Amino acid sequence: MAKERLVIIGGDAAGMSAASQAKRRNTDLEIVVFERSPHTSFSA
Amino acid sequence: MRVRDLQRGRVAWEAYDQLVIATGAVPICPDLPGADAVAVCGVNTLQSGIELRRILDDGGAKRGVVVGGGYIGLEMAEALVRRGLEVSLIDRSPEVMGTLDDDMGQLVSQALRDFGVTLYLEEALTGFETKGGKVTGVVTDKRSLPVDIVVLGLGVRPNTALAAAAGVPLGGKGSIRVNGRMETGMAGIWAAGDCAESFHLVSRRPFYIALGTVANRQGRVAGINLGGGYATFPGVVGTAVTKICQVEVARTGLQEKELGVLGIEWESAVIKSRTKAGYFPGAGEITVKVLAERGSGRLLGGQIVGMEGSAKRIDTLATCLHAGLTVEEMINLDLGYAPPFSPVWDPVVTAAREVVKKL
Repeated sequence: MAKERLVIIGGDAAGMSAASQAKRRNTDLEIVVFERSPHTSFSA
Repeated sequence: MRVRDLQRGRVAWEAYDQLVIATGAVPICPDLPGADAVAVCGVNTLQSGIELRRILDDGGAKRGVVVGGGYIGLEMAEALVRRGLEVSLIDRSPEVMGTLDDDMGQLVSQALRDFGVTLYLEEALTGFETKGGKVTGVVTDKRSLPVDIVVLGLGVRPNTALAAAAGVPLGGKGSIRVNGRMETGMAGIWAAGDCAESFHLVSRRPFYIALGTVANRQGRVAGINLGGGYATFPGVVGTAVTKICQVEVARTGLQEKELGVLGIEWESAVIKSRTKAGYFPGAGEITVKVLAERGSGRLLGGQIVGMEGSAKRIDTLATCLHAGLTVEEMINLDLGYAPPFSPVWDPVVTAAREVVKKL
């Protein structure tokens, strides 16, 4: 069965907090984050 | 979901089972000719800060104008003064820091003047002068200021064009409406951070606030739910702190203009105290304002302006707001005391005692 796929638009405070919490709780999740700028979590 | 790779220009479709919209906020840009000129800068991402610093590093900038006296505007005014620029700040209001009541904001305005910033208050931006695509002047309804760099601190709005185009229901100020688990009104789509709506625990109404603290907490809640857990985000009380030069500034809860709109009747007290025992070396001045509901005595909000050791005292007031305490109940809070940290009555409690007398 294909992994469940979580896509996140935005890789700063909210997006990366969501990504890390989801991955900690369910390591089987496939998580992809898209970020417009060259930096992630710059204010987190 | 369609994605464009900004480095390679390639466009691709991405499939998802669950989607989180965390697109943040964008600086509010005035709809005026010249607002897109070189050296007119909004600052709300690391990248925009890097670009602003590059303009300053290239040298030649001697005069800076900051438009807007909120958190970004004030912090940028200080930074430009520290870089050796001659700095002016324009704001439409009678005092800077509109999230404080004017009697407290006036203390911040004075701190900026003392630091060397020229304030043009109760003035509105009406346009820019440009030459060869670069900004050369800022025009208000009262004057024209020659300038080498302009920083816009007019606040932010939620970056929700994508969500709106997809049909995701929006709430206040165009933010994405979410439930307590951070789900939007569209199945499988979640939102968190500066693009999402929040809830004000004092007014008990939907509320939009763009702060990194809130974004981290909302993101955490969304992530727990997406990872198979269960969490809810209760809301905010509107706490924020900043520091301009030596002066620390803090606020939480509702301010007078918000209470007026809500039709809540209040009493307030403003007290001056010290950050440490009065005789202790290094004790600095602190001014605290506390607002409480007439009749019930429920704490409604607080504001603090003062020297080092002032701002984080707002956390006591924020916690009291979360707990729904009255100012009477605050008087017996068992807070820490020793001369290096506080007067024997903490300044926030002294302010609560003063407001109790008026209720």
